[in-house]
Amino acid sequence: MDFTPILENYQLYLKGLWITLQLVSLSLVIGLGMAVPLAILRTSSNPLVNAPVWSFTYFFRGTPLLVQMFLLYYGLGQMQFMIELSQQLDFLKDAYWYALVAFTLNTAAYTTEIIRGAIEGTDYGEVEAARACGMSRFQTYTRVILPSAFRRALPAYSNEVIFMLHGSAIASVITIIDLTGAARIIASRYYNPFEAFIAVGAVYFCITFTLIGGFKLLERHWFAHLRPREEVKAKGRTKDKAQQVI
Amino acid sequence: MVLAEQETGSAVAAAALIAEDIHKSFGDLEVLKGVSLTAREGDVIAMLGSSGSGKSTFLRCLNLLERPNAGRIIVAGEELRLKPAKHGGGLEAEDREQIRRIRARLAMVFQSFNLWSHMTVLQNVIEAPIHVLKRPKAEAIAYAGEILQKVGLYDRRDYYPAHLSGGQQQRVAIARALAMDPAVLLFDEPTSALDPELVGEVLRVIRRLAEEGRTMIVVTHEMGFAREVSCETVFLHEGRVEEQGPPEQVFTNPRSARFRQFLEGNLK
Repeated sequence: MDFTPILENYQLYLKGLWITLQLVSLSLVIGLGMAVPLAILRTSSNPLVNAPVWSFTYFFRGTPLLVQMFLLYYGLGQMQFMIELSQQLDFLKDAYWYALVAFTLNTAAYTTEIIRGAIEGTDYGEVEAARACGMSRFQTYTRVILPSAFRRALPAYSNEVIFMLHGSAIASVITIIDLTGAARIIASRYYNPFEAFIAVGAVYFCITFTLIGGFKLLERHWFAHLRPREEVKAKGRTKDKAQQVI
Repeated sequence: MVLAEQETGSAVAAAALIAEDIHKSFGDLEVLKGVSLTAREGDVIAMLGSSGSGKSTFLRCLNLLERPNAGRIIVAGEELRLKPAKHGGGLEAEDREQIRRIRARLAMVFQSFNLWSHMTVLQNVIEAPIHVLKRPKAEAIAYAGEILQKVGLYDRRDYYPAHLSGGQQQRVAIARALAMDPAVLLFDEPTSALDPELVGEVLRVIRRLAEEGRTMIVVTHEMGFAREVSCETVFLHEGRVEEQGPPEQVFTNPRSARFRQFLEGNLK
């Protein structure tokens, strides 16, 4: 085992880390932004509204992320109009954007279903109470349904975030030098795949546990209403914060 | 139905709520077959009836949580404009602004409390005053404090609903309703989901509100409460008003045989 080539090339890993973090966070943020309205449409009883969203989520949850990325990157590249278009627009030649679109649509689909489930799990009595005191539909969503749904969705969503981080490794297949891409370059240059991938695995591991820790903090803050009273009380900080929110 | 005129002559002028000839069907099942009710300011009306008699449905028609099939609803002099719903199944509000305004005037207390579980007691109470009535936050908090004091839960204002007993949760729900300064308080079986030893604390709060002169319609199974607190008792049977009048008259000398049976069943 010799890790010196990795230490010598740490800059390549750092660049890869930066690309991975970009791809993952951008796709998660945009995907979440898409997922909230989609999830609301998905709960509609009108099939004209509900069915298109259903098809979207079923396509993206029913096929592998790698296949979706190939379809966008190679599939679109086969189309005449895309070839012409990319001669004018340079960024269309960059694999990065195809990966970003594929990741975004994929996580949007999963997150839509996570949030839909959480919305449908909202206690109907709480919704009635909101209507009965004169809230509009919009207020009922923003004040009652979504805040309570997001809380319920959080554990499932934290899994989605971690899947997305790990899923992003396939970006390296379409020439993107993300974390895994960096490891592949080192592995082929020095013929040391074991060291190269152990190093990159350790980095993924650290990001994952940072994320898990972050979600734990969020859950502690958001789930105060589900924990036993003594525990909430003991966490004086959380309580003070809750008061500030008011 | 004519009995309402017995006490004062000027009943119509100060009517907080008038419901006229409310009909409601669920599919083929006709639950309300024309129920009318007038609540003058300060009235406490107790609605009794066995389960399935339509009393909760009637209450839920008043603020359009259920769509009535026919009828008129007038709250504090303002008639709710109704139109046939697009996909059938009764009447809906013609004007969304208006129904929201009227709902804000008719605060409802539910059988299962329906507190917003992710909000603390105080947040539950100030939520609608701030976001529906557009009151300034500081004012809403100050007023909520007074109300919570009244229902005896001021020291629990930072608790979440899950950390309270059923009786306490229902008192918070009452506080939430009071914070809206409603024209009429609607109680939908407020003690039916409570353990017997918790019923008393909730009834005490409601009784105090009655003494303050709040206008209330209380759907309940608590006979003693209806008899002592209400100024008018209404007995529903199979979607019709079967017996109606001041409790002293209705309970001691019921005219309807069904109400007599109902009382006997309840008093045992």
